[in-house]
Amino acid sequence: MTTSAILQAINGTSFAALLFLLASGFTLSFGLMRVVNMAHGAYYLLGGYVGLAIVQVTGSFSAAILAGGAAIALLGFFVDRALIRRTGENHLAQVLLTVGIAFVIGDVALWIWGGDNLKVPVPMFLRGAVELPGGIVYPAFRLMLIGLGLVVALVLWLLYHKTQIGAVVRAGVDDREMVAANGIHVDRLFIVVSALASFLAGTAGVVGGAFLTLYPGAEWEILVFALVVVIVGGLGSLEGAMIGALIVGLLDAYGRWLLPEFSYFVLFGPMAILMLFRPTGLFGKAH
Amino acid sequence: MERKHLIAWSVVAVAIAALLPLVAGPFWVALLTQMFIFGLLALSVDLLLGHAGLFSLCHAAFFSVAAYTTAILQVRYGVSTALAAPAGIVAGTLLGLVFGLSVRTRGVYFILITIALGYIVWGVAYRWSSFTGGDNGVTNVPRPTIAGFELESMTSYYYFMLAVIVLSLLAYRVLVASPFGLTLRGIKTSETRMTSVGFRPNRHLYAAFVLSAAIASFAGVLYVYYNRFVNPVSASFPISVEAVLMAIVGGSGTIVGPLLGSGIVLALRNWVSSFFELHAAVMGLVFIAVVLWAPNGLVGLLASLRANRRAAR
Repeated sequence: MTTSAILQAINGTSFAALLFLLASGFTLSFGLMRVVNMAHGAYYLLGGYVGLAIVQVTGSFSAAILAGGAAIALLGFFVDRALIRRTGENHLAQVLLTVGIAFVIGDVALWIWGGDNLKVPVPMFLRGAVELPGGIVYPAFRLMLIGLGLVVALVLWLLYHKTQIGAVVRAGVDDREMVAANGIHVDRLFIVVSALASFLAGTAGVVGGAFLTLYPGAEWEILVFALVVVIVGGLGSLEGAMIGALIVGLLDAYGRWLLPEFSYFVLFGPMAILMLFRPTGLFGKAH
Repeated sequence: MERKHLIAWSVVAVAIAALLPLVAGPFWVALLTQMFIFGLLALSVDLLLGHAGLFSLCHAAFFSVAAYTTAILQVRYGVSTALAAPAGIVAGTLLGLVFGLSVRTRGVYFILITIALGYIVWGVAYRWSSFTGGDNGVTNVPRPTIAGFELESMTSYYYFMLAVIVLSLLAYRVLVASPFGLTLRGIKTSETRMTSVGFRPNRHLYAAFVLSAAIASFAGVLYVYYNRFVNPVSASFPISVEAVLMAIVGGSGTIVGPLLGSGIVLALRNWVSSFFELHAAVMGLVFIAVVLWAPNGLVGLLASLRANRRAAR
């Protein structure tokens, strides 16, 4: 019992790491650009498929992570410039537009890669299991995922709080006009942040594809989890995305374990209650 | 449009719809029946979107909970239509009472929360397979008998749906023209102003949300009797988004718009899928095109054309 409880805790944390990769980009692009990008899940799925293709050609998992991220960063850049930018700050239009983009990406991916569950092959040295103190045996890959999540979280946190770019981004989240008035090229900042968000989504797809597999419909399932993370944590808050990911990951793991048929309730119930008392999430501000 | 023109056009439209099964084949009768059912769903979404300014993406939840309730009662417990159908509407509306608490939020938060809430229902329909039948759903729902009339054939169901939709549109017209409808549009235009003249926006929005859930539930019951089975697809996110798309394509905030939008979207999907594999991608392109070029939908497009013509004269 205690062993399973601990195992579920690690499961939840590794899922949280994956969710953080996705939710951090979503929340940052909202915070800075006021963009709600529902195609984020489709970016994840497509990134995973690109990564899969790269592994099949080169055999390198790290190349796949980079290529998946880079391809999606490029795609995200064009989608942002050519389409999303034209909706201004109309969230309704943005949501419809990006859902449309997600439909197109999802359907084209289905056409290319088919409807089967595909798994991104994990490199040899991460395939085995690791014995943790206390005699718990756990897959190495998912431990690596936790590590990756921590590293990304740390890098983003440092970038956000300790660098000048981060200071400008934070200022932009608070008051964009003021930042522009101080002579900072806000548009250039937008490009960097949206590319970073897309890059993280693509990377998440490759990593997620290695343990959750890739299949049509995965884009919406993962997006909803990311949305809950963002709702719980508060839109636009990086810390919120970290805490939110951890809460959602753990609730999901324990929910699936203890109440498999109602795991969605375990996850969404607390979210709904939180929403009643703090509609803007744990760390969010009213927008 | 002037009132007498409007009445004349409506009578012509209903007359054409009534004569249609005499000339058109079963394919068209089925397509129009679907258009009526999803038109009603789009109408329920548009009560919030077009009149109250709330963009809900969870209406598939009410639609499917009503459909499941009716189907399970009728198939598994042998309850008669006279009880199973109202029970479906009640179940969907009760869910609306709970989900309606989301009107405490606005804007993006409201959109995101409704998406997440909608997923609960999909998740339960999909995973609680001992009760909902999982992926297969509930099958063999019988066609209903209403006041001694058996709606066994597609044509009889079509006429039933035609009557339902005409009555629903009339009732909806009364509703949106009522003081309640005006209040909702007042809140949509300026919530602060409505608050300062003494209204409590959240109460009105909550009432609108529950009413909208009730209409969506009604559509769900009509759907399950048409389709004769229900599975988790009816609770899925794409159904919720498509209902919004229908409302916008036709013309949000109008009365016939959502119905027209439903016809356009369904016809387009049927037509495209007959020769092109990537029909979901085509639907996606429709979303993009509507947002970029026709945000006011067909009714808005026609209105601006008329305005241009009048200006040219």
